Amino acid sequence: MGDFLHYLNFRKGHIFDLSVDHAQIVLYAIAIATVIALTTAVLVYRRERLSAIVVAIAGTFLTIPSLALFGLMIPIVGLGTKPALVALVMYALLPILRNAVVGLRGVDPAVIESAQGMGMNRVRRLVRIELPLAWPVILTGIRVSTVLIVGVAAIGAYVNGPGLGEDIFAGLARIGTPTALHLTLSAILAVVALALLFDAFYAALGRLTTSRGIR
Amino acid sequence: MSSSQALIRLESLTKRFPGQRENAVDNLTLEIPAGEIVILVGPSGSGKTTTLRMINRLIEPTSGRIFLEGEDVTAVNADRLRRRMGYVIQQIGLFPHVTIGDNIATVPKMLGWEKKRIRERVAELLELIGMDPEAYSGRYPKELSGGQRQRVGVARALAADPPVLLMDEPFSAIDPITRARLQNEFLQLQTKIRKTIVFVTHDIDEAIKMGDRIAILDDRSHIAQFDTPATILAAPASAFVEDFIGAGASLKRLNLARIADVELVPWPTEHVSADRDTVRAALLASDKGSVLLLDEKRRPQRWVNMLDLEHEHDQLSELGLSAQVMQRQATLYDALNEMLNSLQGASAVVDEDGAYCGVIDIDAVAVAIRAMRQEARRTFRGEDPVTAVGEPTREESLS
Repeated sequence: MGDFLHYLNFRKGHIFDLSVDHAQIVLYAIAIATVIALTTAVLVYRRERLSAIVVAIAGTFLTIPSLALFGLMIPIVGLGTKPALVALVMYALLPILRNAVVGLRGVDPAVIESAQGMGMNRVRRLVRIELPLAWPVILTGIRVSTVLIVGVAAIGAYVNGPGLGEDIFAGLARIGTPTALHLTLSAILAVVALALLFDAFYAALGRLTTSRGIR
Repeated sequence: MSSSQALIRLESLTKRFPGQRENAVDNLTLEIPAGEIVILVGPSGSGKTTTLRMINRLIEPTSGRIFLEGEDVTAVNADRLRRRMGYVIQQIGLFPHVTIGDNIATVPKMLGWEKKRIRERVAELLELIGMDPEAYSGRYPKELSGGQRQRVGVARALAADPPVLLMDEPFSAIDPITRARLQNEFLQLQTKIRKTIVFVTHDIDEAIKMGDRIAILDDRSHIAQFDTPATILAAPASAFVEDFIGAGASLKRLNLARIADVELVPWPTEHVSADRDTVRAALLASDKGSVLLLDEKRRPQRWVNMLDLEHEHDQLSELGLSAQVMQRQATLYDALNEMLNSLQGASAVVDEDGAYCGVIDIDAVAVAIRAMRQEARRTFRGEDPVTAVGEPTREESLS
């Protein structure tokens, strides 16, 4: 135990750097996935069948084993950050997309009818009424995706992606040596800490961005 | 009525929904006169809501024309058209994520009003519906009661001062007691704002109470009768109308007269803090058998009779029966109902501030009924109607 703390202290700069890289790729992936998922949701949510199909497609991405998905990326986009990012975006899509569709479809029809009856056009209704009302549900989707992606991103190291996966894989490759456990364990702890930090961030963001009227 | 007075004119309006073999609304022609409340009433499936929603083109008509203030609006920009018509629906549909003030400001904002003008208009409307702007404009819909939400819904519809108000069962989702109060308030409001109102309901009693004119709709929005409530009650045009009015047409006629139209009975009153001897003296001096106790603001509190005064150990304010009150705008129907429900057989009438105005009793209602019956009889014998009980505006349309 003392050994491990000593190791942590010795490597804290390195672990911090890896954590920043890790957080960065997660944020990029979430940003891209959010844009794609929200755009798609806005395009399909009014049609029930189309919504179901799109959500099902995003669902299949999530069923591909992560190691295989990362591996599949290599022949397409090569090694490094790119394949990791693409794979993470694919994983992040489903929770955001599904929540956005559910949230938009769940807006009280009476609210929409009264908005329409007052002369609000499609775009204004979407921006002023439907998206703000669906926002808490959408944000929950983003939150779930983020936590999910923080874990999966570690596997990005398999394709030379950035982040804490580097130490996990390094540790696993050295099983039997004294540093193996330290490497892996420290990276895992950092991943968990990152996930908790993100979760706390979203909780705060949710409070700040959700109208008091629907909290 | 000449067509130049009609604010809204529907001409051969027809709607057939895709995949349906019959028209939902079939060849409806109707003129809505300016400043009146016109009720569309009919059994479910009669197409009344479809008709209403064609007026602001939430449903586009299959054929026919819609005129607003003489202008053909059948093909103009629907969103801009809707900003000229207030719209109130049963579920109200307030925006839950914005404040009451912002809800009311919806249409003025779209019309690009200045901030200051919007703020003033919101305050004015909140005052109009009896809600303190300071206290309410920053609140959210979930913090209001059902009745308050309904009022805000009306205020929001009135925000940009549109000439027309379309109301789809606006009071149906509210408990009966609050509903009666809101109906009365709304009628009171209408005397100030004089909007042209198209009002959909399935409730004939509400139609009689609220309408200047009623269109009773049969299947596919065919007009079974379009006339004043008094005429419809006195002379239903067909067996269908008679059926729809249901039993007790003369009882329903009580909905046409308001307490304000009836002469109130003066009743002995005393202050709640008066001593027993004063109350006893007042009782002896009158033939009414009970005294009405009022508080500092002259709000009726208790009915007290001789027997009640025998209970020496109770406070005066706890003796007798608690006094139920009626608003002056309430109908005779409400009043009679209240009397039959209370043990007192009479009801204290109050003004807008809740202060005592007088008492209405069974005798006063009976006199009013007799007058109305004579009135109806005279009208259908073709004689000149005299102004009796009931609202003068309705008397005109009888002739």
